[in-house]
Amino acid sequence: MSLRPARLLGEAGEGLRIALASLAAHRLRSFLTTLGIVIGVTTVIAIVAIVDGLDASFAAQIGNLGAHTLYVDKWQWLGTNESWWEMRNRPDVGARELAAVEREATLARAVSPSVGMRATLSAGDVTLTRIRTTGTNEANLLTGGGTIAAGRYLTATDLELARSSAVLGAEVADRLFPGVALDAVPGRRVAIDGHPFTVVGVLARRGRMLGMDLDSNAAIPFTTFLRDLGKRRSIVIAVSAAPGELERLEDQLVGILRRVRHVPPGRKDDFSINRQDQFLRLYGQLTGALYGVAIGVGFITLLVGGIGIMNIMLVSVTERTREIGLRRALGARRRTILLQFLVESSLVAALGGGLGTALGLGAALLLAQVTPLAAAATGGAVALGLGFSAAVGLLFGSWPAWRAAHLDPVEALRHE
Amino acid sequence: MTAPLITADRLTRHYVVGGELVRALDGVSFDVREGEWVAIVGQSGSGKSTLMNLLGCLDTPTAGRYVLAGTDVGTLADDALADLRNREIGFVFQTFQLLARATALANVELPLVYRGLPRRERRERAEAALRSVGLANRMHHRPNELSGGQRQRVAIARALVGEPSILLADEPTGNLDSQTGEEIVRLFADLHARGHTLILVTHEPRLAARCPRAIRLMDGRVLGDGPGGELASAGGGRVPA
Ligand SMILES: Nc1ncnc2c1ncn2[C@@H]1O[C@H](COP(=O)(O)OP(=O)(O)O)[C@@H](O)[C@H]1O
Ligand SMILES: [Mg+2]
Repeated sequence: MSLRPARLLGEAGEGLRIALASLAAHRLRSFLTTLGIVIGVTTVIAIVAIVDGLDASFAAQIGNLGAHTLYVDKWQWLGTNESWWEMRNRPDVGARELAAVEREATLARAVSPSVGMRATLSAGDVTLTRIRTTGTNEANLLTGGGTIAAGRYLTATDLELARSSAVLGAEVADRLFPGVALDAVPGRRVAIDGHPFTVVGVLARRGRMLGMDLDSNAAIPFTTFLRDLGKRRSIVIAVSAAPGELERLEDQLVGILRRVRHVPPGRKDDFSINRQDQFLRLYGQLTGALYGVAIGVGFITLLVGGIGIMNIMLVSVTERTREIGLRRALGARRRTILLQFLVESSLVAALGGGLGTALGLGAALLLAQVTPLAAAATGGAVALGLGFSAAVGLLFGSWPAWRAAHLDPVEALRHE
Repeated sequence: MTAPLITADRLTRHYVVGGELVRALDGVSFDVREGEWVAIVGQSGSGKSTLMNLLGCLDTPTAGRYVLAGTDVGTLADDALADLRNREIGFVFQTFQLLARATALANVELPLVYRGLPRRERRERAEAALRSVGLANRMHHRPNELSGGQRQRVAIARALVGEPSILLADEPTGNLDSQTGEEIVRLFADLHARGHTLILVTHEPRLAARCPRAIRLMDGRVLGDGPGGELASAGGGRVPA
């Protein structure tokens, strides 16, 4: 049989023209038909855009946060089976533990203590309250403290002499010294809870992670922190391992800490060794749940939308029975009629998908503006929205199209 | 002499309605040669439309053989039947059957779309067909902007555009007033004069009388086959031996 490309092309073109004419003639009906698809695709695309956005900001953070770093802390960060009360009653981690780790942890590449509080920072007539202020050492940059954008980081001398040096996060620097060039910020004076400090450096901007602003912070020497801002706090000791040595380092740290904290054999550890990948796991659960919601909602609404399309296409086939009979009499093959109705149903669905994609991305970007969530409009999401809805149109349009193609031409021509 | 264009050999079409057998056609045989103009006449329910559907390859016979332009239609699959309709047959319907949303030109182009002709050629041939039925200045009108007679002319142009071997018309003047009907009959006479093969169903004696040949059906059988004038006036005609 003739499968000349000109014929197929002509038939497809005719199918598209018929579909467009039918859409134009039934604008409201087509819109209502496709509403289910619009809602489904909007939901799925919004969730996918948010997850993509989280992925992008999260991937950027992971390196900085130190996947090779362990955090010795009185507190277990996530997924604990200790009660809060039990952890609260653990002895603080302090200078003793820090000294022991620095002395004995041979598998450590860098050891960096940190002790934190929310402090008030002021410079000139600008005052910022509740800024996360950390006392730490020069190794903090290695254990996951970011990179320097201007000036320098804390040095060993800053710590030895307990100098009043401060390194500011990008956001803090911006807000404390508005209009001042980044390079001009080092050397400026800043008061931290009333104590005078000199800014020695500014960190590069890092963005947000899981809703946390990573640029609204300040770092000062650990020793200075203890002197000026108070001692009665448990510290966190960040310990970086050489690549591949993380597990052995953890064992070593457990040994050191149990000894220095006099934990009798047979008793549980009275400290925790935390990892960043606990966040990764939490993140995985979160995005997994979001994807689950997206798939569930998307599936149900697309099913509803697909049934709507099937219904309206069956109506359309009935309305156009005589036209189908005529086309068959003039030489249209079954395949041609099938194609005509499939083009129409997938076009309706894809238009709904296009609208849904636009709405979904809009909603996600809006959400990213007003909440700490991030959003990314990826080509993949757009292709997903359009492709999936067109597939729904094809799938649910195929039964009506099949019915149209298998109408008896004589009966169809006589249809009232 | 050359082989007939159409050979109907004991064509039979039965329907089963509510367990009862309806013999819509019951062994109809005749030949049609190229260039003939044949009327099919008979009372309502005598099987005229059923016969036209078989001749037009829209339906397949329960029994009997139908040969069209050398092709035994009974052996063909659905796609091949569609192609055969497209190439060999031009339909004219009582109710015109035009696409309401398409212009006259687009309506006439339709058979050529299904033949796979390129756009330019479709356009040119459709324009020529519309000119040949006297609608040169109505090409871009839609059916609802045309009179009944003009609509039927569009339908005739659509039947002609693919240069089929026969034109089949089922009651082509049934929906027209007598004056407009007469115009359409003159157009058919003109097409006959130009060498087209025409088969048309009618129950109007006036129209049948104009045809060189008429086949009278009754209860699904051929009752007479002879010159249209005789058949129409006598109401019977020669009964085949
Ligand atoms: N699809 C059908 N199903 C059942 N009976 C039919 C069908 N089409 C036609 N018939 C019957 O076949 C007979 C011939 O019908 P038809 O060919 O339409 O007659 P005409 O066109 O001469 O009026 C009638 O008795 C009619 O009721
Ligand atoms: Mg009839």
